[in-house]
This record gives sequence, C-alpha cells and structure tokens, in this order.
Amino acid sequence: MNKTDDEDNQIKQWLSPLEPRCKHRSVQANRVDGVGGWLLERSEFREWRKRQVLPKQVVLFCYGDPGVGKTHIRSVRKLSLASGNY
Amino acid sequence: MAVTGLYCDYATQGEQSTTNMLGAILNQLFEADGIPESLRQVFRAEKKGFGGRATQLLELVGMVKAAIALIPQVFICIDGLDECLPKNRRELLESLQDIVRALPTTRVFLSGRPHIQDEIKRYFAGAIMIAVVPTIKDIERYLRMRLDRDPTPSAMDDDLRAEIVRVIPRKISKM
Repeated sequence: MNKTDDEDNQIKQWLSPLEPRCKHRSVQANRVDGVGGWLLERSEFREWRKRQVLPKQVVLFCYGDPGVGKTHIRSVRKLSLASGNY
Repeated sequence: MAVTGLYCDYATQGEQSTTNMLGAILNQLFEADGIPESLRQVFRAEKKGFGGRATQLLELVGMVKAAIALIPQVFICIDGLDECLPKNRRELLESLQDIVRALPTTRVFLSGRPHIQDEIKRYFAGAIMIAVVPTIKDIERYLRMRLDRDPTPSAMDDDLRAEIVRVIPRKISKM
C-alpha cells in the first residue's frame, strides 16, 4: 500500500466508519430478480428521476410496514439509476 | 452521475450519528474523482478531527455541497429512515433540506415506515409519497426463489409447489 492509499483510508475512516457499500452488496446478493420493478413504471418515479423537475419534488419517500420490501425497492432503483436502464 | 446510499438500522444506531451518515455520503461522492486536495489539507491540519460537534456537522454539509456541485447529477438514497434516532433524523433532514436548496438538481430517495411521513413533509412539503405494497407477482417471484432453494425438493411434488405459488400470494395481498 503506498502512502496516498494509506492517507485515503485514514481520511475515509475520519469522515465515517460506516460502510454502506458492504450492506448494499449483501442486499443485492439476496434480492430476487424483478421484485419491486413496478416502481420504475410509476409516473411519479419517472418525473422525480428527470433532472429538471420542480424543486419541490426532489424528494421521493417510499413508505410501508416492515417486510414489504422497501429495502429491495431501493436496491432495484439504485441498480436502474446506475445503469440508466429503467 | 453519482448514486450514494445509506441504510439506517436499529441495531447500529450508536455509530449512526448524523456526521457519520453525511461522512459516508461524502466518501461515496469521492469514489469517482478521488479525495480533493482541499480536504486532504484539512485532514492533515486536524488529524484528530474538527473542533466542536456543531461545527463538524455544518462543515460536513458544506463539504457535501461542494462535492455535489462538481457532479452533474447526484442521488442520495436513505433506507429505513424511521430506524435512526429522532434527533439524528431531524439533523439529517435539515442537512438534506440545506443541500437540495443549494443544489436543486440533487434527488433524494427515502424509505421508511409510514409514521414518519408527516416529519418528512415538514422539511419537504412537496415530497412525493409512494406506498410500497408487495405485488402478487413480487410474492410469486420470492416464493419460487425460496422453493428453488429448498434443501429437500423431493419431499414436494409439482402439484403442491403450484398450489403454494397460487394460494399464498393471494392470501398475503388481501392482508
């Protein structure tokens, strides 16, 4: 490990000990293909995703009771944002 | 484009301070282009962290804004917002409000239990609210996955399998 990598790691730790990418990988590993795909078709979601929407609509809140699949929805959505395929 | 995300969890509330959560977002924003020189200098000058806590939060919000300003489109996703401590949730929502006011192309995706809807509306009056209800198709997909992983598939014939996939999703969707 060179000096810059070492400093990078120190800075990352200093900013936050949380590692959401690890949790994200485990969520991805346990998801079922296609689950939550309905969200991508919703007009509210499509509007929200567009770059130029009203500034009031920058926040999207998906709510539901425990176990309905909110985490997996987010995971689906994240994947589709990253690939631009929605 | 950058997609950043956090998972809130009752089990690890202790380390989920608002500053740690914003710090984790900042770390993800740096993934593409690396840590900026200005931040390295702050780090070198204050290896033991910033001064007071309030300063730290404000300073972090400022750094998040500066990082977002350099990226054409940023998504911030926070899962299980109801699972963070109320004080942290308030600070987090306030910080997000500050960020999106300064940078309105930022998109925020939140998820959580229904009871925090009003709290979110207080910070983001125009927030889009979507109820997550598993669809029959989603439940079927999940059941098939579980049946495929069954350690003793010989104990079940195709009829039983078909019956499970037919009956359970309909029962659940009526709940």
